Amino acid sequence: MPDPAVLVIGGGPAGIEAARNVADLGVRAIVVEQRERLGGTPVHEQYAALTPHFDDAEQAMADMEAALRARELADVRTSSRVTALSGDAGAFRATVEGEQGSEDVEVSAVILATGFTHFDPGRERQIYNYYQYPDVLALQDLEAMLKRGEVLVPSTGQPPKRICWIQCVGSRDRNIGNEYCSKVCCGIASKQAIEVRKHVPESRASIFYIDMRMYGYWEHQIYWPAQEQHKVQYVKGIVTEILEQQGHLLIRGEDTTMGRPVETPMDMVVLSVGMEPSQGTRDMAQLAGVEQNKYGFVDVARPPLDTVGTSREGVFACGAALGPADLEDTISSAGAAAVKAVAMIRRGTLSGVS
Amino acid sequence: MPTGGFKQEPGIFEVEDAQVGATTLPAEWNRQLADRTLTDYDAVNLLEIAALDGAESIDWCYGCGKCVPVCPVDVVGEYGPRKIHRKLQTGIDLLEDPDLWLCTTCGNCLRVCPKQVDMIQIMPAAREAALTQGKEVPAELQGVFESTFKYGNALGQSPRKRAAWTKKAGVPVRELPKSPGPVDVLLYVEDYWSYHPRGHTAAQAFARILTRLDVDWAILGHEERTIGDSQRLAGEKGLFELLADQVSDTLAKYEFARIVTPDPHAFNALKNLYPGMGHSYEVLHYTQLLAPLMDGLEFTGSVDAKVTLHDPCYLGRHNGEYDAPRTILQAIPGVELVEMGRCRENGYCCGGGGGGMWLDGHTVNHTRERLSERRVREAAESGAEILAVCCPYEVSRFEDGAKSTGLDGVLAVRDLAELVDEALGGPEAMVQGD
Repeated sequence: MPDPAVLVIGGGPAGIEAARNVADLGVRAIVVEQRERLGGTPVHEQYAALTPHFDDAEQAMADMEAALRARELADVRTSSRVTALSGDAGAFRATVEGEQGSEDVEVSAVILATGFTHFDPGRERQIYNYYQYPDVLALQDLEAMLKRGEVLVPSTGQPPKRICWIQCVGSRDRNIGNEYCSKVCCGIASKQAIEVRKHVPESRASIFYIDMRMYGYWEHQIYWPAQEQHKVQYVKGIVTEILEQQGHLLIRGEDTTMGRPVETPMDMVVLSVGMEPSQGTRDMAQLAGVEQNKYGFVDVARPPLDTVGTSREGVFACGAALGPADLEDTISSAGAAAVKAVAMIRRGTLSGVS
Repeated sequence: MPTGGFKQEPGIFEVEDAQVGATTLPAEWNRQLADRTLTDYDAVNLLEIAALDGAESIDWCYGCGKCVPVCPVDVVGEYGPRKIHRKLQTGIDLLEDPDLWLCTTCGNCLRVCPKQVDMIQIMPAAREAALTQGKEVPAELQGVFESTFKYGNALGQSPRKRAAWTKKAGVPVRELPKSPGPVDVLLYVEDYWSYHPRGHTAAQAFARILTRLDVDWAILGHEERTIGDSQRLAGEKGLFELLADQVSDTLAKYEFARIVTPDPHAFNALKNLYPGMGHSYEVLHYTQLLAPLMDGLEFTGSVDAKVTLHDPCYLGRHNGEYDAPRTILQAIPGVELVEMGRCRENGYCCGGGGGGMWLDGHTVNHTRERLSERRVREAAESGAEILAVCCPYEVSRFEDGAKSTGLDGVLAVRDLAELVDEALGGPEAMVQGD
């Protein structure tokens, strides 16, 4: 019997944190990441600054990766995929295919940390024309701009005089099939609005929303400063369509507090796209044979008191593989998954629950 | 609305251009009630107001709307702090808008505001900016500013007539300029007790009560000037500061232990603003002086009536005193105290604060009924026969309101001092050498 090991699938913030904790608890952690480098969506999608404290995203992920790699018990495999999983809790056999070929590994537990993908605004039922108008962006497009240190209207190359965010794109929508709130977009939009106002002080920034959902401390960490110090204008009412008029974007909607229609020119519109399960989450959930909810996220088997156990014993999940999550949620659930996986090994039982 | 009545359709309905005969009337778009399209979110006016000293909190509003139902002006019109924020956000120039002059600074919005948007500072700051920038000020208010500057009182009366009310008080009243020397209580009479006929009766009643209680007291007579706190809140901070210099100089000439005033606005300024200008006094509202002394009065009569109390905004919400006037009322034989639905912390404003006293002509054009009329109807609905007041603005405001609402004869409006004095036998009892 080899030393026990935990297989962590996914090398984003959730996977790195889970693996580091597993290693710190004295168990070998095999991290399998399909991309060439660790860091997950924050790195891959070129996030600029993390919410809510504006930490540099790339640096924060690099620090996490370095901390993981410093652990002797961490076995990191990038450009690799898990292609098969058999066995039971305590004695899984996984096939890992990488650039060096295929290898079977024996592990006691599996942690799914396969994350999310941004909602594709081309699928929305409004008329936002994301793919038609260059100046209609999604949150991650603006993140990449901010990371380059510039905020410019794509079609003109000039800083925007008027910019707005449209909330709940791809979330809270029965037509689209995503009834859930994506939880982070209100905070991200407000964070970006602060950054844009700092980059382009002469710009006017508005956020069109249905409800501002600023959980817990984000209320005073992001929302209030955005409004009170950075003069971001919050307007209740969602923009219905974006048209082009005389070289400008024209947003049309209803200002619900005034009870009046809105037709306002904008230089740049940012769609606050929500979160959906990544392809990796869909594939690995299926491969691991764990139940998924109707949206494709991994289902927690015993909520609310077990936030990381799945329908298959010995398989845990964390981070945005479980549903919309901010980084704080992600880091917390990663720690919980690591503890439960190692605890299962330590107790020598087959039960992941206490 | 919780008490009586219901919100009616707004009386104004404007369209983009109204055609009246041969004339095309452009609408004031901020009073727009039709579905006119918002074509911009230019918050430049919002930011301009937020940049004013004291008005920073205007753009903190997140639109929860808690302030609107408790705004006394919204109850009778279409005005509320949240609405001001939204209008500013959509481009209105508050400094040129009629809304600028509607707030009475009653403080009920701030009481319920989770973001501490402080209209009590915002509105005076915006008004001051309007004055400084030469914007149009309602003529009636402008007249009061000028009278106050010229004569030291809002009513434009001669300073020499300040003490005229004392002649019929039925008791001797000491005037410090004529008879200097240490005194315990300096009664700061203020304008409406000094000059308004309905204030005279209250002042005279209070003079008799003080005498019965053997209080050592005096007034400043012709040397008294208004404290001008309502002028400050109406935008004339400069005038208030000028008055404060003059008032503090006058006060420095005399030796007194305490200042007592019937005017909650003067009380507010003396208590809360003067210390910051280097002038600290022990200040009491007249109800606070009287309440603990009620046991020492020997009542010979009674006031057999149901009485309700109107809480003055600047005594109650702004200074936290709700009990003193009630203690007084309950000590008067025969009085049955009944409360209105809106009382104490949620008391409804009479409409006189923050300059509203001198903006009735302006306000009436933007509301369905006067705040004072709404209040007397609430008082009548409570079953009270007497509406007791303890702010000199209110007797005349509410008596006018009772007349215009047909409640004249049903509801009497009396100052607390008048009720106490009546139960003590009134002026006749003093003449008999009581």
